[in-house]
Amino acid sequence: MVRYVLRKATGWLVMVVVATNATYFLASWFLDPRSNYRELRPVRTDEQISHALAPYGLDPQTSVLDRWWHWLTDVFLHFDWGHSPTGVPVNSEVPHRVLISGQLITIGVVASVVIGVALGVYTASRQYGLTDRVTQTLSVVLFNVPTAVSALGLVLFAVWLNQRLGWTFLHVAGATTPGGVDGAWANILDRANHLILPTVNLTLLGYVGWHLTQRTLLLDTINADYVRTARATGLTRAQAIRRHALRASLIPTATSVAFTIPAVLTGAIITETVFGWEGMGRYFIQTIGKNDVHGAVAVAAFGAVITAIGAILADIATVLLDPRVRVS
Amino acid sequence: MTDVLVNSSAVAPPLRLGRFRLYLRRFARNRAALVGVAILALLVGYATLGALLTPWDWSDQDFLALTQPPTSAHPLGTNQGGNDVLAQTVHGLQRSLVIALSVSVLTLLIAVVVGAGAAYLGGRVERVTLVVIHFLLVVPSFLVLALVSNRVGGDWRVLIVVLTLFGWMFTARVVWSVSTSLRERDYVLAAEFMGVSRWRIVSRHIIPHLGALLIVSFTLGVVTTVLSETSLSFLGFGVKTPDVSLGSLLADGADTINSAPWLFASPAALLVLLTVSMTLIGDGLRDALDPTSSAGGRG
Repeated sequence: MVRYVLRKATGWLVMVVVATNATYFLASWFLDPRSNYRELRPVRTDEQISHALAPYGLDPQTSVLDRWWHWLTDVFLHFDWGHSPTGVPVNSEVPHRVLISGQLITIGVVASVVIGVALGVYTASRQYGLTDRVTQTLSVVLFNVPTAVSALGLVLFAVWLNQRLGWTFLHVAGATTPGGVDGAWANILDRANHLILPTVNLTLLGYVGWHLTQRTLLLDTINADYVRTARATGLTRAQAIRRHALRASLIPTATSVAFTIPAVLTGAIITETVFGWEGMGRYFIQTIGKNDVHGAVAVAAFGAVITAIGAILADIATVLLDPRVRVS
Repeated sequence: MTDVLVNSSAVAPPLRLGRFRLYLRRFARNRAALVGVAILALLVGYATLGALLTPWDWSDQDFLALTQPPTSAHPLGTNQGGNDVLAQTVHGLQRSLVIALSVSVLTLLIAVVVGAGAAYLGGRVERVTLVVIHFLLVVPSFLVLALVSNRVGGDWRVLIVVLTLFGWMFTARVVWSVSTSLRERDYVLAAEFMGVSRWRIVSRHIIPHLGALLIVSFTLGVVTTVLSETSLSFLGFGVKTPDVSLGSLLADGADTINSAPWLFASPAALLVLLTVSMTLIGDGLRDALDPTSSAGGRG
C-alpha cells in the first residue's frame, strides 16, 4: 500500500516538474519583458533594455535554453524563483499569497466534497423524493452559472443585506480589514468574516459536480447484487447502503478529485479578482500584465503542486476504500 | 450495413417508427428539454434579430446618455461610454455563440480522432496518448490559456483556436473509454477478419456508434466553452475592447456593480439562460438517444 502511494506520488512529482518547466518555455515565448521598458521616457535602446534585463535572466538575446538552465539551477539549488522585469524578487511576493490562496482553495475543496457527496448520498437513497428533485434542479442551474456571475451576485446580495442591517455584516473586499483590527480574537474573527463570501462562492460552484456524480454513482451501485445480498443477511436498507454500496461508489469519486482541482483553481482566480484578495490568482493576472515570466511560472508551479497534493490525498483515499488496490 | 440495421429493427417493434422519429418523439416528451429548446431559440433569435430592436449600433456612443438606467430610448440602459447595452449584449451574444459553437465542433473532431484512434490502435500509441491526455487534464491549463490568448490579443478567431487546443482532452478521454469497449464487438472483429484497413474501421465502424455520446458531448462542450470564454474575457485575457463578448460585458458590469447594476444584469442573465438551455437540451438528447431506453416506443 505504501509502495502504491509512493509510486503514484513519484508520478505526480514528475508531473509538477514537467508542467512547471513547460510553463517556463511557454511564458518565455509569449511574454515579452522588453515591452515594459519600451514605454519609459527617455527612450531606451534595445541594447540598454537587454542590459537592464540581463541580471534577472530575462534578456531575450541570450538563448532561451541558457536562461532556462540558469533559472532551473537557481530554483533547485537556492529555491530562488527569479525576479520580475523590474527586479522584484518572486520569493518576496509569493509566500503570503500562497497562504491566502491555499486557505481559500483548501476550504473550498473540502466543503464542496463534503457537502456534495453528502447531498449525493442523501438524495440517491431517496430518489425522486422532494429533496431529490429540488436539489437536482438547483444543482443543474448552479452547474451552469459562470463563476464571475455567482461571485458578483453574492456581492450584490451582501451589499443589500448590509444596507438592510445597517452595519457591515459581510465584507465584500479583501482578505482582512485594511489597517487591521485590535486584538488577536478580533483579528481571527475579522479574517473568518472576510473568508465567508469567497468560500461560499467556490463551494456553491464546486459542490454541484460532486452532488450530481455521487448521486449517479450511488444509484448505479445501490441495486447491485452484493447490496441485495447484504440486505438478505439482515442488514437494514440504510446499513446496507452505508456499509456496502456507499463504499464502492466512493472509489470513482475519490479518483476524480485530481481532475477537478484545475477548475477550482480557475474559480479561485476569478473569486480573488471579484473579492479583491491579494492571492496567487490576482498575482497571476498581474504577472501576465507586466510580462513577468518568473512570476507566472511560480503561479503555474503553485497550481501544479496544489493539484498534485489533491491527487495524492485522493490516491490515499482510494487505497483505504478499495481492497483490490491494497492487496495487489 | 445501415440498411440491414434499419430493416431488422423496423420489423421487430410493434409500432413502426423510424430511428429519428423515435428520437424526436422521446425528446419531445421531455418537458425540460423542450424548455431548453425554446430558450435557445429565443436566444438565437435575439442574437440574429436583436439589432432591429434598437437604432443604436453596438459600437455607437450616445454622449447624451452616459451610464443611464434603462429608459425607453435605451431599453437596457447605457454604459460609461454611452454604448447601448441592448445592442452590446446582442453583439456579445453573437460572439459568445459563434465562439462556443465553433470550439465545440473543433474539439469534438479532435477528441474523436484522438480518442477513437488511440482505443483502436492500442499498444504503445494508446499508452502514450493516455499519458498525454491525463497530463493535460491535470495541468492548470487555464493559466496557459490566459498566457497564450493574452499575447495574441483579443481576436475572437484566435481565441477559438486557443480554446480548441486546450479543450479537447476530457471528451477525448470519454470517447476513448467508450471506444475500448466497442473495439471488442463482433462487427469490428468481423471487419478486421475481412481485411478492412484500421483507419477505415475507426472511421466507418467505431465513430458512427459513438453518435449519441458525441451529440451529448457537443452540447456540454458548448456549456464548457461559454464558461471558459466568459472567465477569460472577464479577466481581460479573451475578447478585448473594442470588441465585446458576454464575458467582457460582465467585466464592465463588475466594476460598477453597486452604482449601475443593469450593466451586470443583462449579460449575466443571457449567460445563465444560454448555459442552462444547452444543459437541458443535452440531458434531453442523452435520454432520447439512449439505446437502452424504452420510452417513446409505445402510444
